[in-house]
Amino acid sequence: MNPDDLKYHKEHIWIRPSGKNVTIGITDYAQDSLGDIVFVDPPEVDTEIEANSEIGEIESTKATSSIISPVSGRVIKINDDLTETPEIINDDPYGKGWIAIIEIGDSAELDDLMDSSEYTKYVEEEAK
Amino acid sequence: MKLAILGSGPGGYVAAIRAAQLGARVTIIEENEVGGTCLNWGCIPTKSLVASSEMFSKAKRLQDFGIETTGNISPNFLKILERKNRIVNLQIKGIRNLFKLHGITLQEGRGQVVSPTEIIVESKNGAQKTVTADRIIVATGSKTLQLPAFPFDGRQILSTDDVFRLDAIPKSLTIIGAGVSGCEFACIFRQLGSEVTLLEKLPRALATEDTEISHIFERELKKRGIRFIPSITVDKIDMRDGGVHIFLGDGTELGAEKALVSVGRSFNSDGIGLEKVGIRKGTRGEIIANEKMETNIPGIYAVGDVTGGHMLAHVASAEGIVAANNSVGGNERADYSAVPSAIFTSPEIASVGITEQQAVETGIKVRTGHFQFRTLAKSHIMGEIEGMIKIVSDESSDKILGVHMIGPHASDLIHEGVLAISKGLKTKDISNSMHAHPTLSEVLQEAAADVHGEAIHGQKK
Repeated sequence: MNPDDLKYHKEHIWIRPSGKNVTIGITDYAQDSLGDIVFVDPPEVDTEIEANSEIGEIESTKATSSIISPVSGRVIKINDDLTETPEIINDDPYGKGWIAIIEIGDSAELDDLMDSSEYTKYVEEEAK
Repeated sequence: MKLAILGSGPGGYVAAIRAAQLGARVTIIEENEVGGTCLNWGCIPTKSLVASSEMFSKAKRLQDFGIETTGNISPNFLKILERKNRIVNLQIKGIRNLFKLHGITLQEGRGQVVSPTEIIVESKNGAQKTVTADRIIVATGSKTLQLPAFPFDGRQILSTDDVFRLDAIPKSLTIIGAGVSGCEFACIFRQLGSEVTLLEKLPRALATEDTEISHIFERELKKRGIRFIPSITVDKIDMRDGGVHIFLGDGTELGAEKALVSVGRSFNSDGIGLEKVGIRKGTRGEIIANEKMETNIPGIYAVGDVTGGHMLAHVASAEGIVAANNSVGGNERADYSAVPSAIFTSPEIASVGITEQQAVETGIKVRTGHFQFRTLAKSHIMGEIEGMIKIVSDESSDKILGVHMIGPHASDLIHEGVLAISKGLKTKDISNSMHAHPTLSEVLQEAAADVHGEAIHGQKK
């Protein structure tokens, strides 16, 4: 269920590395826990961000949640479709519901992230 | 006992009625219409605009509630103002009737204090009349503050008063100052369809509110499509091509159809004879009054905005009652321990008591409880799920020290917090009191319980 070609951060963020950039979004587990997403406040393009810091917020009909950056770097693109149709995160968290593209500062940070089987186990532990 | 009151806003007219109830013969002097800024230019007219703009926003969401519509829905600003005028006029009539009911003399004209027992009133036609009194209460209020760098022209560079003279909704509006009025007007005009930019020299909107509340409000601004620029100054405003051109401190420029300057208020303490009788004023021109509302001149009291305190209508009224009681021989002090503030933005914001930041700054150890409106069924029923409440309580005594909220009907909900603080209640007093279901009031019970990690609903921490 969690794609094998992605990396995962403990704040339920997925990371798709591609050269010096990574695309990030929230995991299926995160979108399912949040419920119907009604608003996404993404970081602004060109913002310099640090790993494990809050870079934006997601509101669902039952909760508000921080978007935590899994890596350090600079935001180079955000998903504009989320402005009008934030619910695409619920429909397609690993695809159309991506949140931002970040140019990473230190690719070694990627080594600290989980792979899909580790993340699946992590979620099972957290749900207990 | 004869009492003369200068100004008939919420400070003056309330003082007049209370003094009359206590047997004083009261003359109230008013240069403009009764009700002061609150009724004619402030609280009441703006909230009337809020009501129209909220109605329009709700109308656009009728389908969400299963109501089908045909045809266009659009706001007509002149009709919105007509409705505002009807409401204002009704309230004016109400105050005038109260004066009659209590045998209060309304003397129309501009009053000048000439001695601690005499006020000369000059009416519009130039006729003069001397009002004599044993005691005087000055309740002359405040007016919109004009900055020399961008004087109001009433058409393109607007004061908050000028808004009520517009004949149409501006296509674009830049508001200078993200205080209470600036934020309220930003929400009003955005909901009516204007492109709104809100500028603030401080790092956040509504800077006196709890930081978590400001943060959520700024997100709501973004959600509503209001462009908010914090930490920015305005150098000058040029009028150009039938609009305004705004030069910002960071070297950038902004264009808009109109600019609204909402940067504060100045005091109506000049030209009313205060110097003649030697009433002491502060550096900002405010009258200095103590908690008994006494000025330095025996027999002369001052209440409300002109004293430069909270600048809130309900504070003026409370002070008016204190001054009225004291003027007929009482010995009361105004109590500012639980002053509610209500901001009619979308969503509403209200608070009472201290913020978590103020507690930290003053070294008070506190606990906090939070609860989100979206956790309540009632919020979903109403289709208004935004917002949060935060309760700040004393760590050792459990007494409630502050209640801060942003969300639907926050301005009504805050009063449970006002009562709690003024009576020294504990969070347990609120969490153990039954709150009807399904109501928005449940946020108070749940947030009080959350102080001890015992909220029933909401996410596990």
